[in-house]
Amino acid sequence: MMRKFLDALYDGAATLAALFMVLLLVMVLLSIVGRELGFYVRGTDAYAGYFMAAAGFLALAHTLKKGEHIRVTLLLNAVKGRYKKAIEIWALAAAVALSALFAYYSVKLSVNSFQFNDVSTGTDATPLWIPQISMGLGAVVLLIAFIDELVLELLGKRADASSDEMLHNE
Amino acid sequence: MSDIAITSILIFSLFAILASGVWIGLTLSGVAWIAMQLFSSRAAGDAMAVTTWGSSSSWTLTALPLFVWMGEILFRTKLSESMFKGLAPWVSRLPGGLLHTNVIGCTIFAAVSGSSAATCATIGKMTLPELKRRGYPDDITIGSLAGAGTLGLLIPPSIIMIVYGVTADVSIAKLFIAGVFPGLLLASLFSGYLVVWALMNPGKIPPPDAGMSFGAKVYESRHLIPVVLLIGAVLGSIYTGIATATEAAAIGVVGSLVLSVVQRSMSWTVFKESLMGATRLYCMIALILAGAAFLTLSMGYIGLPRHLAEFVSSLGLSPFVLILALTLFYVLLGCFLDGISMVVLTMGVILPIVQAAKLDLIWFGIFVVIVVEMAQITPPVGFNLFVLQGMTKREITYIAKVTLPFFLLMCVMVLLLWFFPGIATWLPGKM
Repeated sequence: MMRKFLDALYDGAATLAALFMVLLLVMVLLSIVGRELGFYVRGTDAYAGYFMAAAGFLALAHTLKKGEHIRVTLLLNAVKGRYKKAIEIWALAAAVALSALFAYYSVKLSVNSFQFNDVSTGTDATPLWIPQISMGLGAVVLLIAFIDELVLELLGKRADASSDEMLHNE
Repeated sequence: MSDIAITSILIFSLFAILASGVWIGLTLSGVAWIAMQLFSSRAAGDAMAVTTWGSSSSWTLTALPLFVWMGEILFRTKLSESMFKGLAPWVSRLPGGLLHTNVIGCTIFAAVSGSSAATCATIGKMTLPELKRRGYPDDITIGSLAGAGTLGLLIPPSIIMIVYGVTADVSIAKLFIAGVFPGLLLASLFSGYLVVWALMNPGKIPPPDAGMSFGAKVYESRHLIPVVLLIGAVLGSIYTGIATATEAAAIGVVGSLVLSVVQRSMSWTVFKESLMGATRLYCMIALILAGAAFLTLSMGYIGLPRHLAEFVSSLGLSPFVLILALTLFYVLLGCFLDGISMVVLTMGVILPIVQAAKLDLIWFGIFVVIVVEMAQITPPVGFNLFVLQGMTKREITYIAKVTLPFFLLMCVMVLLLWFFPGIATWLPGKM
């Protein structure tokens, strides 16, 4: 039950992220077409930036679950058994702490922008708290995913995250 | 506490945390947060959120996810297959024969792909089995592929150039154009080495297939038309100034979608896979970039880059010695870190030194890209080595060994770039 809910959460956020990736493309194409045909859509550059940010933040947890966030695995690959487990627990615990920090301040940023009525300085004049929701949301889901991983590791149920997908990175 | 002590503690803890397997992007933010909390009066958490937001939503960076997506689409097309068909007839009679399909294939694919590992994987998917079937020796086949794959970074578009351009505040379009000649020159060095190797090792290269008439060769080249059109659309639009790097990337995504529809390799599943693959890959890079942006800010507060720049200029190194030292530094760092982390982690500190030495930032960008290329093939951590390890199931040490000659050629390239800086700076100067 819990497992299903969590996986649906990560996948849902990732689907949204992919949607924002498509919107990013549409926005850039719109600005090209607009310039060629002589109509002007206000703020396409800023929107492209917001969509890119949303695509990145919302995919954080899903990317983690697929084992594609990079880390230095030299030490981890060199040790075995309980030493390996101990290092994994340390790394995950540190990641939980860091992502909690990141989640707290990301949500706070959006709340602050709302309270102080922060508006983008570009031509789009967007109230900044709206696009910043993607950062808060993505960071919170990432925190949940790290806690999830830590619990799985402690229970000894964590699947090996090394993935062949890494192969065509960078 | 003295600055030196602070600095050493920070650098030590940064590397200790990285080595213990904590995710790179998070580690960068974390160390930056601690440094700022301890050594400055500014509210570290809020600064982190603002910096992260600012760097992740900046317009200049939007070229990156789009080029990543383009690469993911092309990786799933039949492009490498058709390129092999188009190239093979032309190179089969040269000394070195079909080995040149590795180098030329990677060079061409690099002009539509921003990543060296993707270039290596896409071309290798085709050439590794083909060359093995024809009896080419493994050593030189794998080595030349690993070496030439790194051209994905130097020949535009290039993910690492976007990262450098954003970090160093240099025009991405100019960097792209600056990479063209060095990329072609490095490819010629690779091909030249293959010719020399083939002449020195006669009998190791299997005989070519039956010759083809010139007309038939030209006819086979039709397979190259799609990729040439795509290169023209992407690089042409940047060079002529019609499009910014971001717009060229969007054109590239549309172009690759069209290409894969025409080749009948597009389906809903393939589209979804390419989109999700690109989103994840971009997300991975974005996390590192965000962490690095905050680390750079935090280091600025402590004054680390300034102190280090002052220290280095007090040494009175000549620029040439400085570049040699930096090359050594990056090669060592490249043994343990991937290219993007390496660039974002060091730029905040290195750029003031480079500016103090009055080096051209476009030129320096090309230099950085070449040393990052070298990092892709230095063990134990090198992405191209990982790619080839996955594809050939060989030991990483073996792959590194057969790639060594190509690594040395890149060292030669660094020297050439130093003595003839025009290789990088002439073409962008014409824009």
